[in-house]
Amino acid sequence: MTADTPLLEVENLSVAYGDRTVLHDITLSLRPDEVLGIVGETGAGKSVLARAMLDLLPGGGRVTGGRIRVGGRDLATLPEPERRALRGGTVALIGTDAKSLLDPVRTVGAQVADVLRAHRRLGAAEAKAQAIELFAKVGIVDPEKRAEASPHQLSGGMAQRVVIAMALIAEPSVILADDATLGLDATIQVQVLDLLVARCRELGMGAVIITHDLGIVARYCDRVEIMRDGRIVEEAPTARFLSAPATPYGAELLGAARARPAPMARAAAKGATERPLVEVVNLVKHFTTGSGHVVRAVDDVSFAIPAGETLALVGESGSGKTTVGQCLARLLDSDGGAVLFRDRDMLGLPEKAFRPLRRDIQMVFQEPYVALNPRWTVERLVGEPLGLDPEMAGAEARRARVREMLELTRLPARLAEAYPHELTAGEQKRVGMARALATRPAFVVFDEPTTALDIRVRAQIIDLVRELQREMRLSTLFITHDLNSVRSLAHSVAVMRHGRIVEMGETERIFAAPSHDYTRMLLGAELPIERYTAA
Amino acid sequence: MTLSDTWRKLPRPLRIVLGRLPMVIPQMFGVIFVTFMLARLLPGDPALLMLGNMATEESIANLRAQLGLDGTLWQQFAHYMLQVLHGDLGISLFTSNPVATDLMERAPATLELVFYSMLLTVLIAVTVSVVAVVRPRGVADYFSRVYGLAAGAIPDFWVGLLLIFLFFSTLGIAAAPFGRIDPLVTPPPAVTGFYTFDSLIAGDLSAFRSSAGRLVLPVITLTIVNAGALMKMTKTTFAEIWRSDFIRHQRASGLPSRWLVRNALRNSLPPIITLVGFLVGFLLGAAVLVETIFSWGGLGQYAVQAVTYSDYPALQGFVLVAAVFILVVYLVVDILYELADPRIET
Amino acid sequence: MMKTLADFPAFVLRRPAALLGLALLLVQAAAILFAPLLATHSPIEANPLASLQPPSAEHWLGTDVSGMDIYSRIIFATRINLLISVIAVAVAFVIGVPVGLVVGYRRGWASTLVMRIFDFIQSFPVFVLGMALVSVMGQEIWNVAIVLAILFTPIFARLVRAEALSLRDRPFIAAARCSGATDAAIMFRHILPNALGSSIVQVSISIGMAILLTAGLSFIGAGVRMPIPEWGLMVSTGSQQMILGIWWVALFPGLAIVFSVLSFALMADAARDYLDPRGERSR
Repeated sequence: MTADTPLLEVENLSVAYGDRTVLHDITLSLRPDEVLGIVGETGAGKSVLARAMLDLLPGGGRVTGGRIRVGGRDLATLPEPERRALRGGTVALIGTDAKSLLDPVRTVGAQVADVLRAHRRLGAAEAKAQAIELFAKVGIVDPEKRAEASPHQLSGGMAQRVVIAMALIAEPSVILADDATLGLDATIQVQVLDLLVARCRELGMGAVIITHDLGIVARYCDRVEIMRDGRIVEEAPTARFLSAPATPYGAELLGAARARPAPMARAAAKGATERPLVEVVNLVKHFTTGSGHVVRAVDDVSFAIPAGETLALVGESGSGKTTVGQCLARLLDSDGGAVLFRDRDMLGLPEKAFRPLRRDIQMVFQEPYVALNPRWTVERLVGEPLGLDPEMAGAEARRARVREMLELTRLPARLAEAYPHELTAGEQKRVGMARALATRPAFVVFDEPTTALDIRVRAQIIDLVRELQREMRLSTLFITHDLNSVRSLAHSVAVMRHGRIVEMGETERIFAAPSHDYTRMLLGAELPIERYTAA
Repeated sequence: MTLSDTWRKLPRPLRIVLGRLPMVIPQMFGVIFVTFMLARLLPGDPALLMLGNMATEESIANLRAQLGLDGTLWQQFAHYMLQVLHGDLGISLFTSNPVATDLMERAPATLELVFYSMLLTVLIAVTVSVVAVVRPRGVADYFSRVYGLAAGAIPDFWVGLLLIFLFFSTLGIAAAPFGRIDPLVTPPPAVTGFYTFDSLIAGDLSAFRSSAGRLVLPVITLTIVNAGALMKMTKTTFAEIWRSDFIRHQRASGLPSRWLVRNALRNSLPPIITLVGFLVGFLLGAAVLVETIFSWGGLGQYAVQAVTYSDYPALQGFVLVAAVFILVVYLVVDILYELADPRIET
Repeated sequence: MMKTLADFPAFVLRRPAALLGLALLLVQAAAILFAPLLATHSPIEANPLASLQPPSAEHWLGTDVSGMDIYSRIIFATRINLLISVIAVAVAFVIGVPVGLVVGYRRGWASTLVMRIFDFIQSFPVFVLGMALVSVMGQEIWNVAIVLAILFTPIFARLVRAEALSLRDRPFIAAARCSGATDAAIMFRHILPNALGSSIVQVSISIGMAILLTAGLSFIGAGVRMPIPEWGLMVSTGSQQMILGIWWVALFPGLAIVFSVLSFALMADAARDYLDPRGERSR
């Protein structure tokens, strides 16, 4: 093949499952040394497209039209042994959730060596040696020792590096990264993607980065394809797309990915003598692991939230931020300190005495679907907390309140009879919020309310929370790692690491002039599209 | 701290074995307690029941003293436990031999039967289920579906009878269903207790042919009934792993199918090991029925005799030995399970 | 995911295997309800003159060694076999499910102790323990049922416990607690409905197991006794003749066992596929 033959060409590709066509007439190509971004929301068909490029369509999908050429050769005409050699040898896939991509009972070194041996005639020892060599290049410290580890002994970021090594080891010409960093912490995500893209550029490989995060596209991709409902709706060089999207859908995505304007003025004037609604004083929570080690998940944490204000608690996984929220909602017993609600310590209260207080202290859970009993209807779910309110004893009063809550969270009333699995992720999230707000609480803990949502749904949820803040004069603790939503929602920010708060202050101040190194690192790892669109 | 450091330094297999062993003690204690209580469940005086209607006052009194029946329940239990620990399981009312001797004599017959049945079961079940998963909608897939359902519904004793009727009575191609070896052939000198092994060790081909021939029908009977459960479970487990992300990723990385099967099978091993252990216990129960049909002369047939002739010491001894045997099997299974799965902390 | 019991009949009607199971169940129900009408002879009356007759117009499935009509005995045995099995499983379910629920939800030494006892019962080979218990307790129908109930209770308790353990830490339980649900409400309204699926499947499987165990016990003489019509006992009376080529005495009652167990296994499979969203999709 010549230097300008595209590495990968998709021509008018259509894929169907039964009668349902999931990919319509897709055409795209990848040139050598190019990093192409494919962006779309859930159900756009991104992953099916990636699998089609390897001729590994999952679950009975079939190509109904068009062709895929790899290095100029039509996939459909190749015999199976050559197609096998092509997978991993010419086109390598990196999938989501690296830990699940690794064989749990074999050492990671052997797994990487296996891929090499599947494509080259090599002895086990030699393949292993090459794997270890590559481990060092993908940033795995102490590669000899790591090669002997089982996947469960690795962190998520380390496992992701192993998967990248698996993709690189047979020196393919194309890397497909399908939501490869989903679920990783922002700082790890940036490290991993920096590394992947650098290696691709260095080795002259082409890369396709499939994602729903425009920030990733903005930072890494030369060109972007926007997918929606199995079609490509827009294709442009990244810079042009970010400055002037050509289609309304592209513009909508871009708008949704931007942070909202700064939150409204603080509820209470500065220096007011009003006591805070919630005050956390020296909170401590320990966990004992199976092997007897004590982990200080929350280590002497203090903060205060005035009435009507929002404090964002940010930090990466394992920082203890979710544990703080669970201690506040009394889902976990604390090991020390106090939580004052309206100046009354509620940690010391027995469960029975605390229950009436739950009316005022509510929580919105992280994963919308698993936080709803799958066998209950929306009506019953939203109505459950009303048992805490003596005024809501009558069925009629309850029904009226449930309707009111659905309206408040912009859910159609007909969904009252629906079960959780019949709802979209955004609707499930709203049901979770309707439920938490049903008793008209004074204080709500939002645990990662924007995680794992599509760009536009996330924007809608952020808008909804902003409206609720205004209408209900809620005090909220907003637990998240999504800095974009923090800018849009929070009056002040506390940054947590290893169970401690390392920095706390007003939102604008923290973003403008972070004082702690860790905060600077967190902010540096964020991929806000503003950085690229402003230029 | 130092103790736990020393512990950490031990090789993992040794840690697994040492970690498991202490759990056996309370279990053994419990087994002995249950078999002890079994005799207490008998309505009326155990001594009278054990001696039957011919008992004299004196012999009853003697037996009561011998059984330690005169003390409190706990004294009786302590007495029983001491006896058991000394290998004394009482005297069989039917054979008049010590129960322990009777059981020792008959154990190899049952173990040989269980051994070959288990071997055949694993072979068939694993092969069929792997082929069924790798080639969906193929012959193996279809066969495993129908067989998986039917096998669990067939009573083992009935299958044995049908096989005898068909292959011995009607077609005349199977060995006679009377014992482990032709009465005209001298059994090989005992080394392992397994006639097939011992005859090969002794170089006695006619004994080997006869004992192997006698094994065919009972082993097939047990396998037919047993393989269904293992096949069903292996298929489910293997299919789940076959569809898992990491096997899909290995396929996407271009690994040959044979490697994928090997890796998926390696991952299915822990649950298969567990079920095999459970099936050994099940086989022991099934052997009771099958041995009766084939006049096998093993533990199972001894147990049925004990039931028929109300030989309670023999029954009690059999239950104890069976339970201890199963405990040992489970112990081995647990250890193998942990060895097969590196994710388990030790 | 969310299934109501009301959809189950429609689901069964769409699947040939489940339909076969249902048909076999209905046949058994008819045998139980109308046994005196369906039988051609008395099930317990010996007739030495008609000993070991092959199937004929008079004795449809032949007679056994004491001249009892095999067809009539098979019909009446349906009552005995299903009565024992259904009662045993019902008792095991009613005891095992709540115990498993509580033990799975509450941590503590009492829960551990209960589970250890159940583990222990299950570590005995089922048939061996059943045989020993029935023979010391006395070979009566009720004792067989009681022993089977003892053997099956741990199965249900463990199933529900396993489900409860995994459900207990699910976010929707924490969410219910935030909504003010008490422990009792969490156990019975949130966990139980979600934990019951595998036990419902197990009911059908266990009835099949119970039928096989009852038959096996009777076969070796540790179950019910002559002249009570019971399938395993009937196979037993024919076992000696089988070697001599007289096949009908043991064959037909054995077939009855196979069909009966099969019907419950088919229903269990249907219920499992119905409750498992993945199983249905693959169809």
